[in-house]
Amino acid sequence: MIFGLLVLHVAVCVVLACAGRRLGRSSLLVAAVPPACSALWGASRLGADPPATAHVTWVSGLDLAMTFRVDAFAGIMTLIVSGIGVLVFVYAFGYFGPGAAHTGRFATTLLAFSTSMLGLVWADSVWTLFVFWELTSVTSFLLVGHKSTDAEVLVAARRALIVTAAGGLVLLAGLLLVTGAAGTTLISELAPVDGTAATVGAVLVMIAAATKSAQVPFHPWLPGAMVAPTPVSAYLHAATMVKAGVVLVAVAGPALGSISAWKGCGLAFGIASIVWGALGALRHRDTKLILAWGTVSQLGMLITLFSVGTPTAVLAAVSLLVAHALFKGALFLIVGEIDVRAGTRHIDELGGLARSMPVAFAAAVLAGLSMAGAPPLFGFVAKETAIQAALGLDGPEAWIVGFGVIGGSVLTVAYTFRFLIAVFGPGPETPLSPRRHALSVPPAVLAVAGIAAFAVLGPLDAVLEPAAVRLSGGAPVDHLHRWPGLEPALAISAVVLVIGAIVGLAMGRRPGQAPADYAGRWTDASIDGTVAFGRATVARVQHGSLPVYLVTMAAVATLAATPFLADINLDHLVAWHTPLQGVLAATVVGAAVALCFVGTRLGAGLALGAAGITVAAVFVIHGAPDLALTQLLVEAAIVVGFVLAFGHLSRSFPMTGLRWRAVRITVAGLGGVAVVIGLGAASGNPVGAPPLAELAAASVDEGGGSNIVNIILTDIRGLDTLGEVLVLATVALGVQALARGLASTESSAS
Amino acid sequence: MNTALLLAIGGLTAVGLYLLTSRSLSRIVIGYSLLGHATVVALITAGGPAGWPPIAGGAAPEDMSNPLPQALTLTAIVISFGLTLFLLALARRQRTLSGDDLVEDDLEDRRIAAVESTPTEPEDSIAP
Repeated sequence: MIFGLLVLHVAVCVVLACAGRRLGRSSLLVAAVPPACSALWGASRLGADPPATAHVTWVSGLDLAMTFRVDAFAGIMTLIVSGIGVLVFVYAFGYFGPGAAHTGRFATTLLAFSTSMLGLVWADSVWTLFVFWELTSVTSFLLVGHKSTDAEVLVAARRALIVTAAGGLVLLAGLLLVTGAAGTTLISELAPVDGTAATVGAVLVMIAAATKSAQVPFHPWLPGAMVAPTPVSAYLHAATMVKAGVVLVAVAGPALGSISAWKGCGLAFGIASIVWGALGALRHRDTKLILAWGTVSQLGMLITLFSVGTPTAVLAAVSLLVAHALFKGALFLIVGEIDVRAGTRHIDELGGLARSMPVAFAAAVLAGLSMAGAPPLFGFVAKETAIQAALGLDGPEAWIVGFGVIGGSVLTVAYTFRFLIAVFGPGPETPLSPRRHALSVPPAVLAVAGIAAFAVLGPLDAVLEPAAVRLSGGAPVDHLHRWPGLEPALAISAVVLVIGAIVGLAMGRRPGQAPADYAGRWTDASIDGTVAFGRATVARVQHGSLPVYLVTMAAVATLAATPFLADINLDHLVAWHTPLQGVLAATVVGAAVALCFVGTRLGAGLALGAAGITVAAVFVIHGAPDLALTQLLVEAAIVVGFVLAFGHLSRSFPMTGLRWRAVRITVAGLGGVAVVIGLGAASGNPVGAPPLAELAAASVDEGGGSNIVNIILTDIRGLDTLGEVLVLATVALGVQALARGLASTESSAS
Repeated sequence: MNTALLLAIGGLTAVGLYLLTSRSLSRIVIGYSLLGHATVVALITAGGPAGWPPIAGGAAPEDMSNPLPQALTLTAIVISFGLTLFLLALARRQRTLSGDDLVEDDLEDRRIAAVESTPTEPEDSIAP
């Protein structure tokens, strides 16, 4: 079923990619079909045991496989990804309107994202997870850059891609270290690990999660991504993709939670993001940016709770994950509707929408109160559990987490009320275009789901609890309570609501300036700097001079020989087998050195011939008459060719600069030494005598000849020799083509 | 291993590398050829001590030189011969077209270096 659903998604993607232009806006409705199927399947799997699995091996020896496992947590995520997906597709149908361009392309990319996100939450093999993780980054880039004619959009899309893709690289390194330490690549089989490699890996995985989930200091890409069409902001940048990092922290938590650096990093990212994100949401004046900064804050809360890792904290995190998808998705969709109908989303230009957009107002109040954590909404349950989790800790951790959770809650309430007052509160009424049902229904559905979840908390708890048990490593988990009773958490909640509401109401209509985007500018500047550094490096390294390239390569290759210096065994070295070898060696080196000093091409050709003939003599002494004959023939042909090619050039060789020549001589000399070292070391490790008697007997009996070298070439390596003939034939064709091209050039010139 | 031949291999490699890195195509061909010599001598030297030609019935098997590296060497000689001839043909064409046998700098690379070192707007790097 898992593969069936993925194939359905991909197939519809392909169909839309082909027919999207013709279908136009209705392709968005076609694209809603696969998520609808997945959502139904996910709903049917809720609470089901055992988990659904699917597996296909790719490379068995390397442990590379596509492995999927839909357990309790993945089931909930399926419902979020696909359920909200359906609503977003319907909403996008209204958002784009009849005349919009490129809706087919948009539908295809959004469905491709939905597919990638499903693969990510279903993945059990870390490599499967990694592949889908990267796919979500790429599709997010395409969706953020949907309006590709706008320079600002392109900068934002680039920022989102570079930050999340860099996080992907970090993730790869982290996964390699963690799976190496754990000895398995299956997330469901990861056991608690420790050690230096695992610690470094865990920190890298946490950093990767922080880039994807827009945690401080990697957060600027998320507000930047708000240039995307609102369905994208609601779907990718509120409900699903930004949760990928949280999902990663959640599923890796049972294995890595015991590493203190993991928890420390998670708390640092999380609490910094809770505070900084909420402050951003309080100061920005573009409604979409307010929500985006709020998302940074809420994601920080999720990372904090999953990093804490106690059963109550995990239960709170899972509840908040669901609640956030519902209320933040709804709020984004409402802002998108306002944007479409009012033509602006700036709070200074909005007002009085409570009267003119009653449905949106009601939905926004429901979703906003859920975000603020007010009863009787699901957000209240999640926040109450989070406060209980913070109170349940002890030592400095209790203070840190308590500060983050409670302080973050106050700020969340404040920016929620500021948002509601600023958009819907009293003021000059903003003129609106006519209502579109596709725009107003999906947010209402999500907002009502928040109150419905509170109403049916019992069955919901039965679904969330197994997920929390799975994510806290099997520890027993408390139940969710609709009404916790009169205890400290409730009192804290009440105080949080009151203080937050006062601050928010006070700030709601206060005029001001949006803060400057220093972090975003810094991110873009560092990306630009990296690009400029790359360009400068290319300009320096790829300068076009062949000799410099060759010297560089030779120098690097020379380094490879140094480790073998210790392997040279002097016992295996003899001066020579016959003194004549010494004479020939001296001759050939002499001829070679002479070649460096010969002034004319003709002389060089002759000296080359001398060197070749000496090598032939070496073969004769060594007992290789076939080689000697071949070498003689080849050498004669080369000398003739050399004279033909260069004979007319009588000018002596051009001189090069003294310094460059010194570099060349040094590198060449070191290269020679490296070869001597390598061969000398290799000869110290003989692997035994060759089976000469067997070879001799076999060549007579099986090969039907007495020359063993010939038998090897024609019988044992017959196919190789055929290949060699082919090489020669190709060379002949090439030489002929070059010569003929030459002849025609000459004849046309004359 | 035979120290005399080992040193000869080192010398051939060094001179070959030196000539290979020059600007004159004729010297590059010579350098390439010398590197080829170094390789084939290395192959047969690594194969064992000198002996009688490996011809069944010609000498006692234990007195023969190792035939396997010889077979490999034969292939190496022929292939390096083919490539040397091809280089020569290229050099001749170069000489006819430019009147000399000097390797010019790759103009394409030069142009890339010139373009890349002048900073451009970041938007240029993203195709619309």
